[in-house]
Amino acid sequence: MTERVVRVGLGVVGVLVAAYGVVLLLSRQESAQVLEVATWAAVGIVVHDLVLAPLAVAAGWALPRAVPSLARPPVAAAAVALATVTLAAVPVLGRFGALEDNPTLLDRPYLAGWGVLVAALAVGVLVAVLVAAARRRRAPPGPTGAASENEL
Amino acid sequence: MRVPTEASFTSRLRSPAIAARVGVWLGICFAVCFVTGLVSHWAQLPRPAVPFPTSPAWGYRVTQGLHVFTGVACVPLLLVKLWSVQPRLLRPLGPSRRVLLELAERGSIAVLVGSAVFQLATGLANAARWYPWQSFSFRTAHYAIAWVAIGALVLHVAVKLPVIRSALGADVESAALDRPTATRAGALSRRGLLGVTAGAAALALLSTAGSAVPWLRRVSVFGVRSGDGPGGVPVNTSAERAGVRTVAADPAYRLEVVHGDATVRLGLDELAALPQRRETLPIACVEGWSASGTWGGVRLRDVLALVDAPAGTAVVLTSLQESGPFRRTRLPGNFVDDDRTLLALELAGEPLDLDHGYPVRLIAPNRPGVLQTKWLARIEVVDD
Repeated sequence: MTERVVRVGLGVVGVLVAAYGVVLLLSRQESAQVLEVATWAAVGIVVHDLVLAPLAVAAGWALPRAVPSLARPPVAAAAVALATVTLAAVPVLGRFGALEDNPTLLDRPYLAGWGVLVAALAVGVLVAVLVAAARRRRAPPGPTGAASENEL
Repeated sequence: MRVPTEASFTSRLRSPAIAARVGVWLGICFAVCFVTGLVSHWAQLPRPAVPFPTSPAWGYRVTQGLHVFTGVACVPLLLVKLWSVQPRLLRPLGPSRRVLLELAERGSIAVLVGSAVFQLATGLANAARWYPWQSFSFRTAHYAIAWVAIGALVLHVAVKLPVIRSALGADVESAALDRPTATRAGALSRRGLLGVTAGAAALALLSTAGSAVPWLRRVSVFGVRSGDGPGGVPVNTSAERAGVRTVAADPAYRLEVVHGDATVRLGLDELAALPQRRETLPIACVEGWSASGTWGGVRLRDVLALVDAPAGTAVVLTSLQESGPFRRTRLPGNFVDDDRTLLALELAGEPLDLDHGYPVRLIAPNRPGVLQTKWLARIEVVDD
């Protein structure tokens, strides 16, 4: 009963707060601007669902086929970290906002920095694989994770 | 190739156990972004109903740094969260009497995901001074959509509360709430995926936060600013871009100070003859970067005393630049009266660089960088 009250209360608050945001947008921007905002939000959903999500599925499919079982956990971990951090870094990697008259803006070697990130993650994977291999030599062999069909 | 269905997703990592836990972290980060965003909005109001405090001087530096770098950390969290619930997108609509309810729920999810992606994409682009959109105002749209996103998030929590409570109440590896086909062990355990997700969020944070946290500079390979600049402070708008190179360097420069009928015009020599003060205050930009500087110059109150300005009155500052949204800004009375508010002539013991606002700029405590007017032309005491 209490949970029901909390849920209804939260739901009403949520709808009102979101509606306030819509009113703010409609009252402070011209219709062409509102349309562009809506387009950006819609394109965001489409890019995620039709580009990023299928890429993640493909990566999940490829992992057990391309990587030996011993290395799968660290490779999966490094791939998640690299992919997500790289996506967040797209605006600086492209230096799209750089200005000729302002040398203090976007003033780092971003591609080299990305290379350092890749190298650090690769070292991490290598160390994790060596540790796992040493453990496996000492312990009796466990079940090997064979690639199954039909995985998403 | 056949179209996947909900049952095609067999990894047991795509589960309410992961979604609820990453969802809690993401919810906390969104709340931090929302609250610090409101603080930033408040700080930029020309006439706040409740005065924005002038202390602590580093307050805005902290809240805006939290805003931007928590937003960066949201990117890995949001991606893993969406990944964990992706099968739900492809589930059938269910019995016809519930179709409307189902559509309403999916519509609310679309609003939540669309607004969340919009906030992160526009925020990240803005922090890197990249404006790939054509027409809308970043500030207005980012502020309005923040309310949409936080409202949709609260609604989402209301809808999902029973499953959130069950998932958080059970062990993370429990299969009780899993879809029937979600049985295949992945490369990582659920604990492992949670650790990787938190690690990726921390990595995203560390790789950018050096723009505000000096001791992180070396590791922040994706920082928008290295922190270098004239006097150890980066520049946002150069004198070249503001179109003030000639007027700012003109030896005939005079700062005009106006209060009603009283007007004084002060050249650099006259300003240098007034009592000189030194304050260590940060420049904290809305884009998240910040840097502390030691500024030398004249107390604003001392200059206003020359035109008999009463205490507590606001002033309007006008820059030499001929256009731009921040050419004229209103400095509320509590900032005017603060002893640390300077008309800066020096940074780090050197005359101001042209790009830092030479000949005279405002530097006040706890104030967004865009409102620390550079290349001051005129200061007018206003009664309203």
